[in-house]
Amino acid sequence: MTMSEDISIDLAAPGSERIASGELPFETIATDIVFGEGPVWDKRNKVLWFTDICGDTVWKWKPGVGQEVVLRPSVKANGMCFDLEGRLVVAGWGGRTVWRFEKDGSLKTLASHYQGKKINSPNDIVVRADGQIYFTDSPGGMLNVGMVGHDLQKYLDIQGVYRIANDGTLHLVTDDFVYPNGLCFSPDEKTLYVNCSRERVIRAYDVKPDGSCGPGRLFYKYTHPDHGNPDGLKCDVEGNVYCTGPGGVWVHKPNGEVLLRLKLKGHATNIGFGDDDWCSLYITMIGSVTRTRLKIPGVAAR
Amino acid sequence: MSWKFDLVAGPFKGRTGGLAWNGKEMLCSVVLEERIVKYDPKSNTTDNFRKYTGRTNGLSVAADGSVFGAQEGGRRVIQFCTDGSTAPTNDLLDGKHHNQPVDVAVDSSGRVWITDPWNLQTPYGPAIYPFLNHASVLRLERDERKAWKLKRMTTDTTGPRAVVLSADEKMLYVADGDMDKGSGPCTLRAYPIAADGSLGQVNVLHTFAAGQRGIEGMCLDSGGNLVACTGWKKSGAGPMIVVFSPSGALLESIPAPSDLPMRCAFGDDGLASLYVTTGDGQLFRCTDSGRKGVKKT
Repeated sequence: MTMSEDISIDLAAPGSERIASGELPFETIATDIVFGEGPVWDKRNKVLWFTDICGDTVWKWKPGVGQEVVLRPSVKANGMCFDLEGRLVVAGWGGRTVWRFEKDGSLKTLASHYQGKKINSPNDIVVRADGQIYFTDSPGGMLNVGMVGHDLQKYLDIQGVYRIANDGTLHLVTDDFVYPNGLCFSPDEKTLYVNCSRERVIRAYDVKPDGSCGPGRLFYKYTHPDHGNPDGLKCDVEGNVYCTGPGGVWVHKPNGEVLLRLKLKGHATNIGFGDDDWCSLYITMIGSVTRTRLKIPGVAAR
Repeated sequence: MSWKFDLVAGPFKGRTGGLAWNGKEMLCSVVLEERIVKYDPKSNTTDNFRKYTGRTNGLSVAADGSVFGAQEGGRRVIQFCTDGSTAPTNDLLDGKHHNQPVDVAVDSSGRVWITDPWNLQTPYGPAIYPFLNHASVLRLERDERKAWKLKRMTTDTTGPRAVVLSADEKMLYVADGDMDKGSGPCTLRAYPIAADGSLGQVNVLHTFAAGQRGIEGMCLDSGGNLVACTGWKKSGAGPMIVVFSPSGALLESIPAPSDLPMRCAFGDDGLASLYVTTGDGQLFRCTDSGRKGVKKT
């Protein structure tokens, strides 16, 4: 269905028609949620997984079938991704851990402390081709109204981006951030993008072969007056960078320039590419999960 | 007559707020720096009590040594536990998020009395949950399974700012009035607390003149009187520390050490000193008020 009042293209630069043009479909696939997050397409089962932080639930949605509760309470689960073995890895925002759904259904904690101190509230998460897990550790899960767990004390003096190495050890990638939120790799995984909801920036980091990162550089700073701050972050196969930000979903060229914006009436939180061709863009929002279609595929979830 | 106030800590960034004596140190909320400091009168030094408090204002020490705090920014009351962690309480009143609590008082049975006004500062997180259509005194208490339940206690307040219990816990004093919203004159109110914990008929002890800043914070002295922070330079008699008798008689009115006196509490040996916080982020102490505090049972 087309609902142009809910989604439209603006701020379009030359070349943007390769990604989207004209009227876009805009389909609400899930409702009955408060604050959607963590959309990730499960290519093995053809299912979208997502979370409702405030509703304290991990959900899945199957095309033609509908939405189903997977885990409730979820201790305010947030971002999600799959690892190389197809296990769901979760940024455990309220519970202040990173955890994984095991094949037998049990939950295994992968990270909870850094240098002996409890981490903040893992926000979003991504897995590299070599299996290492990267996540952002913003402070909101100790503060935000209706979005907290059981211990509201912040112990660390940083808001880190971390990497869980394959031996299970936790490494700080950067402490550049006031409020690190979305993160993703470029298609070649040579660049890690991380955004900051407070400073309204996206920073880019060169990734070394061992997975550690060099110093960050400013990729883009949002100054647009529309409501909303950088949140979700994903790349398409051509290296364009998608960020939920002021007024909708922004698409940037690999050099940071704005290619277009998917202007949204509602408040978008995060995005995930999906469906067999990876050309659907799932958008989690306050109150719903929606889907539109683009002309080129996103980087496939694992 | 005048009291002598000494600056003992600050100025900090933004206002200082809640105060609570823990038997050794005066805990003081530095609201906008999102931390609570502790002032040790023996060594005359100030150190952090807690960091990352999320704009906590009013404080009250519980029997187990933990400290309850009114976290304005998170719209909840939190408990700073003795192991260094911070526990949430129940921030839902009949399923709805309450407003932005500014003051707390723990009673001898562990119930937490809360003033829950609106506030001009934006809370943390996305604005999903609207404010309540009332600004009331609320009370947290444990149910039979030890879970926190939250009750609304007043239905006649417009913006309660401070809450104090009498020493025998048979009377609840509430400073009410919302200067930001300008909803009527500020008042000092007293409610008898029945044996079953419910509140009886209100007695308005004092009504401030229209446009006059009412009581932001107050504490009890050993005579059962209320020592209150009130007034501002903008109007009226200016920033004052005012003492009311339990029946509302105005006993003393002393110039405050700085503008916008916020909250006050007795501390030091014998609870003989009065501490005062201010809108410009200072912590003052007065040792010659001739009054002393009352030890919580």
